Amino acid sequence: MIRKIIVKESKEILRDGRFKIALGIVLVLLALAVFIGAKQYQNTQDQYREAENHERNMWLNQGEKNPHSAAHYGTYAFKPKYPLSLIDQGVDKYTGVSIYLEAHKRNEAQFSAASDQTGLSRFGDLTPDFILLFIVPLLIILIGYNSFTKEKENGTFSLLKSQGISGFKLSLGKWLATLLPIAVITALLFVLAAIILSTLKDFGNFHVATLLTLFLVYLLYYMVFTNLVLFVSYKAKNSGISLVVCLTLWIIACFVAPKTASNFADKKYPYPTRQEFATNVLKDKEAGLDGHNPFSKEAKRIEENLLKEHGVDSVEKLPFNFDGYIMQKGEEHEAEVYFKHYKVLKEQFYNQTKTYRTLAAISPFLPVRFLSMSLANTDYETHWSFADAAEKHRVAMQAVLNGDLVENSKTGDWDYLAQPELWEKIPAFSYEPPGLSENLRRNTGNLALLGIWFAITFSILFVVTKKI
Amino acid sequence: MIKTNQLTKKYGDFTALNNINLSIAQGEIFCLLGANGAGKTTTINLLLNFIAPTSGTAFINDIDVNTHPLETKKQLAYIPENLMLYPTLSAAENLDYFTGISGKSMSKSDLENFLFEAGLQTEAFHKRVSAFSKGMRQKVGIAIALAKDAKVLLLDEPTSGLDPKASNEFGKLLQKLKDNGVATLMATHDIFRAKEIATHIGIMKDGELKHQFIADEIALSELEKLYLKTMYYSKTEVV
Amino acid sequence: MLSYNFKYELKLLLRSKWIQILIVVLLALFLFAGYNGQQKVTKRIADIDAAQLEMKNADAIMLSLLDSIENGLSVNSVPYWRTPDQPTAAGNNYPRVAAMTPNALTFTAVGQSDLFTHYIKPTVTGEDFTLNFGELSSPVQLLFGSFDLAFVIIYLLPLIIIAFSYNILSYEKEHGSLKLLASEPISLFRWVLQKVVLRFFWIAVITILAIVVTLVVNQVSFPGNLSKILAFVGLTLSYILFWFTLAFLINLWLGSSAKNAVGLMGFWVILVLVAPAAVNQMVNALYPMPSRTRMVNEMRALKAASSKKQDAILASYLRDHPEYAQQDTAKYSYWHRYMASQKVLKQELEPLLNTYENQIKKQQEGISKLRIISPAIIMQESLSGIAGTSTLNYEDYRKQVVDFAGDWRDYFLPLLYRNETFTSGLVTGLPQFEYRERVKIPVLLNILLILSGGVLLSGLGLVLYQRNKARGNLISN
Repeated sequence: MIRKIIVKESKEILRDGRFKIALGIVLVLLALAVFIGAKQYQNTQDQYREAENHERNMWLNQGEKNPHSAAHYGTYAFKPKYPLSLIDQGVDKYTGVSIYLEAHKRNEAQFSAASDQTGLSRFGDLTPDFILLFIVPLLIILIGYNSFTKEKENGTFSLLKSQGISGFKLSLGKWLATLLPIAVITALLFVLAAIILSTLKDFGNFHVATLLTLFLVYLLYYMVFTNLVLFVSYKAKNSGISLVVCLTLWIIACFVAPKTASNFADKKYPYPTRQEFATNVLKDKEAGLDGHNPFSKEAKRIEENLLKEHGVDSVEKLPFNFDGYIMQKGEEHEAEVYFKHYKVLKEQFYNQTKTYRTLAAISPFLPVRFLSMSLANTDYETHWSFADAAEKHRVAMQAVLNGDLVENSKTGDWDYLAQPELWEKIPAFSYEPPGLSENLRRNTGNLALLGIWFAITFSILFVVTKKI
Repeated sequence: MIKTNQLTKKYGDFTALNNINLSIAQGEIFCLLGANGAGKTTTINLLLNFIAPTSGTAFINDIDVNTHPLETKKQLAYIPENLMLYPTLSAAENLDYFTGISGKSMSKSDLENFLFEAGLQTEAFHKRVSAFSKGMRQKVGIAIALAKDAKVLLLDEPTSGLDPKASNEFGKLLQKLKDNGVATLMATHDIFRAKEIATHIGIMKDGELKHQFIADEIALSELEKLYLKTMYYSKTEVV
Repeated sequence: MLSYNFKYELKLLLRSKWIQILIVVLLALFLFAGYNGQQKVTKRIADIDAAQLEMKNADAIMLSLLDSIENGLSVNSVPYWRTPDQPTAAGNNYPRVAAMTPNALTFTAVGQSDLFTHYIKPTVTGEDFTLNFGELSSPVQLLFGSFDLAFVIIYLLPLIIIAFSYNILSYEKEHGSLKLLASEPISLFRWVLQKVVLRFFWIAVITILAIVVTLVVNQVSFPGNLSKILAFVGLTLSYILFWFTLAFLINLWLGSSAKNAVGLMGFWVILVLVAPAAVNQMVNALYPMPSRTRMVNEMRALKAASSKKQDAILASYLRDHPEYAQQDTAKYSYWHRYMASQKVLKQELEPLLNTYENQIKKQQEGISKLRIISPAIIMQESLSGIAGTSTLNYEDYRKQVVDFAGDWRDYFLPLLYRNETFTSGLVTGLPQFEYRERVKIPVLLNILLILSGGVLLSGLGLVLYQRNKARGNLISN
C-alpha cells in the first residue's frame, strides 16, 4: 500500500512543471557550484604548494646569519585547503591563510579572502554548501507544501480516507515520496564530488567515510524539513497558506536564526578589538621578562641566580651565551603571555559556540551548519587548531635558534653567524587537521541536537496524521 | 434586451458554440437547457465579454458587447453558479462595494432597501457573509442587480444546490424582476424549474441551439421527452 | 472606483488582521534590527573612546617625561631607549588614534564594519603596508552576518510583500468572487492596479512609520541627517515599489495562488540570493586578486635583499636627500638606516601592493556596472554607503590613515635626520587625524535604476494581461 502511495505521489511530483523547472535550476546551480569549487580548490592548492616550497627554500637558503636575526626574519605557516572544502567552504573565506612565525610575537592569520572582496561577498557564494543548506530545503518545500492540501482542494482527501488506509501509512508514503527526489539529488552531488576529488592530483586526507557521514548529516537535515513541511501541509487550510507558512519557517531557520544567534553571541561574549588585544598583550609582556632588556627586574634576578649557580662574577664568564639564554627565557615568557590571552579569546569562542548550540533549539540549520563545516575541516575550531599548531611550531623554532646561540657563541658576541645547516634542524611546518572520529567527538552536541530535531518533528508529524 | 447574432466560439478545432441566434426582450425569461458542455456557460461568458467570440456579435440593449464591454456591463447583472462574496464584509458592505466600484454611491437606507427587496432577512443585513448559505448569497447578488437597476440579468445555474424552499423563493424573485421589465437569460439543468418560471425555453447540445419555444406552448412532460430525446439522439450519433 | 477600493481594501485588511500584523511585525523587525546595529555602534564608540582616553593619559605621561628631561632630571620610569625626547621613541610609543567615527545612520547597516578595525595607531617606524586593518572577530559571526536593518529591508521586506500580495487576483478567482467582479462595468486591469497600489500604500506608510520610530528610538537627529534619512527612505520605498510591480506582474500572470507564490519566491531567490553571489563570483573571476601567499613570498624576498643593502641604500637615499646629510657619518644610528631602507622598500613594494588596491577598485567598478542585474545589489551598496560601512568607505579610511601615517612620519623624520630631540613644545603641533566621510553614493541614480526595473516589469505585466484577456483566460480556465 505504501508503495502505491509513493508511486502516485512521485508521479504527481514528476508531472508538476514547477518541480521540473526548479529541479533544472538546482541541478544547473549544483553543477556550476561544484565546477567553480573544484577549480578554486585546485587553484588555491597550487598556490599553497608553491608558497610553501618557496618559503622553505627562502628559509634554508638564508645563508650564514645570526640565529636571532633568522628568528626575526622568521617563516610562514600556510594553511592548506582540505578536500571536503569542495563541498563546504565553511568559514574559510573569513579566516586568514598564512601565519607569520617570528621572534617575540604570535601573529594572527592574515589575508582572509573576504577582506580582499567587496561587500557583495557577504551575500554568500554559489557553493555546494549554499545549495545544500539553503536551496535544497526550499526544494523540499516546493515538493511537499501541497502534499496534503492538494488532496483537500481536489476533494480526494475524503475519498482517500474512505479507503481505510491508516494515517501512518499515508503519511509515511508521502514522506518517502517527498524525500526521494531530494535524496537522489543529494546523492548525485556527493557522488560527483567524490569523483572530482579522486581525480584531483592532491588527494589530501580525503576519506570516503567522512563524505558518507556528511551525506547522512544532510539527509537527516532534509528529513527534519520534510517532517515540518508535511506537518504544515496537513494543518494548513489551503496550499497558498501552507506555502507561505513553510517559507516563513525556512526564512526563520536559515536566515533569521543564524543572524540573530550571531548578534546574540557577539553581544554576550564580545571579542576585544585588535588594538585592545595587542595593548593587553603588550602590558603583560612588559610586566614580565623582556628578553632584550637585561635591566629588567626579572632579568636581573635570573642573572644573579645563574652567577651564583656557576660560581662566577660576571655573565661573560658563564660557559654559554647569556644573551641567548635570557632571550630564550624571554621567549618562553612571551609565549606564556600569548597563551594566556589567546586562551581568553578561545574561551569567548567556546562560549559563543555554546550560545549557538542553545539557539539551535529554534533552528535545525545551526547544528547542521556547524557539523558540515567541521566534517569538511573548514570550521573555526580547525582554524584554531591550525593556529595553535603554528604557535607550537614557532615556540619550538625559537628554542632551537636560541639554543644554538647559547651553545655556540659567547655572551655579547652579536657578530656570531650560524651555519646554514642550522636552518635544516628546524623542520618544515606541517599540520594534520582533526580526522572524522575527532570531529564527530567534538560535535556530539550538534549531532544530538539534530537527532532531537528529527525525533521531535517526526513524532509530531506521525502522531498528528495518525487520526486522519 | 439580449440579442446574439450568429454567435460562434471556437477553441482551435473544437467548436464550443456554433451560430447562436438569441433574442430576449424586456419582461422575458429565457431558460437555456442542456447537459454539461452544451455551451450554456460559453454563451453567458460571451455576453459578459469574459471571452471574445470567434465570429458573430452579441448585444445588450443594442450595444455591442465586444466593442463596448464596460457600457454593456453597466446595464446588466450577473449571478454565477456559485456566487461568492467577501467573507469578512457584511451583506450591506458587499453590496456597497460592488455597486460603489462601478460608480454608484448609496446611502445606508438605500442599501438596506435593496437587500430587503431581494428578500434577505433583515437581521442578516449587517452580518458578515462568511456564514451565509448559497441562497442568502444569491439574494445579495439579486440586490446588486436591483441596485444597479439592471435591465438585463444573466444567471448561470442559479438554482443548483439550493434547497426547494430557497429555489422557490428565487423563482418568485425572478418573476418580480420580470414584471419590472428585466430581460433574463438563465442557464440551467433543471427543466422543472425552467418550465415553471420561463417565458421562453431553449435546448442546447454540442454548442448548438437545437430547439426553442415559448414555455406556455409546451407541457412539462413533452418538454422532458424532447429534452431526453435531444440528449439521446446525439449520444447515438456519437456511437 | 478608487475611493471604494480604498475604503473596502482598508476594511478587508483590517478585518483579516493584515494591517495589524504588518504593523507589529515590521515594527518588531525594525526595532530589533536597529537595536542589534546600535549595539555594534555603541561598542565601536566605546572602543574608540577608550583608545582616545588611553592616548590622553599617555600624552600626559609623555609631557611630564619631556618636562623632566628638559629640566635635566634623570628618568627611570622608562628604559633609556624609550624616553620621548628621541623622535622615533616619541613617534612610536605615543601614537595618535586614527579613528573611523560612525555616522548617525551607521547602525542601519553593519556592512563591512565587522570585518575591519575602526582605529589604527600608526607609528613612525611602522610599515604602511603591514598596518592590519582586519578586526579580531569570530569568522562564524562573519559567516552568519548580522540581523541589521539592511537585512530586514533587503531580505525580509520583499518576502513580506510577497506574502501580502501574491494572491490579490488569484484569491478572487479561487474564492469565486472574480466572476461577479468581472461582470461589473470596470476594467479589471485598473482594479488590480488599484489594489496593488493600495497595498503598496499601506506597506509604505507602515514602513515609514517603522523607520521613523527606529530612528527616534536610536536618537537620530532628523534635521542634522536629513539628506541621509531621505536617501534611506527613498531607496527603501523604491525597493518596496519594485517588489510590488513584480507582484503586480505575477498577479496578472494568472496562475493559482500557490503558483504565484512559487513564482514570486523564485524571483526572490534569484534576485536576492543568487544574483549577488553570482555577480560577486563573476567579478572575482574577471578581476582576480593575485595570490596573497605569493605576495608574502615576494615581499620577503624583497625585504631580505634590502636588509643586506641597508648601508648602500642609505647612501643613495642621502644622495637624493642631501638636506638630511650629517657631517658626522659615524653618528648614524640604526634608525637612520632603518627609515631609509624602509622608504626604499616601500617604493619597491608599491607596485605589488597597488595591484591589490587596483583589483578591488576594478571589482567595485564591475559591481557598479553589474548592479542593474538585481535591485538587492543596488540596495546593499546604497544602504551600506549611507551607513558608511561599505567597502569603499573602508578603502577610503585606509587611504586617509596611510596619508596620516605619512604626515606623522614626516613630522618626526626631519628631527631624526638632523639628530634633534623631540621637545614638549612640539607636542601641540603633532598631526591630528580626523576621519572624513568622502564616499558619495549616487542615491538618485540608484533609485531611478530600481524604479526603471519596476517600470519594465509593469510594462511586461500589461502585455501579459492583454494576452490573457485576448485568450479569454482571465475569468475562465
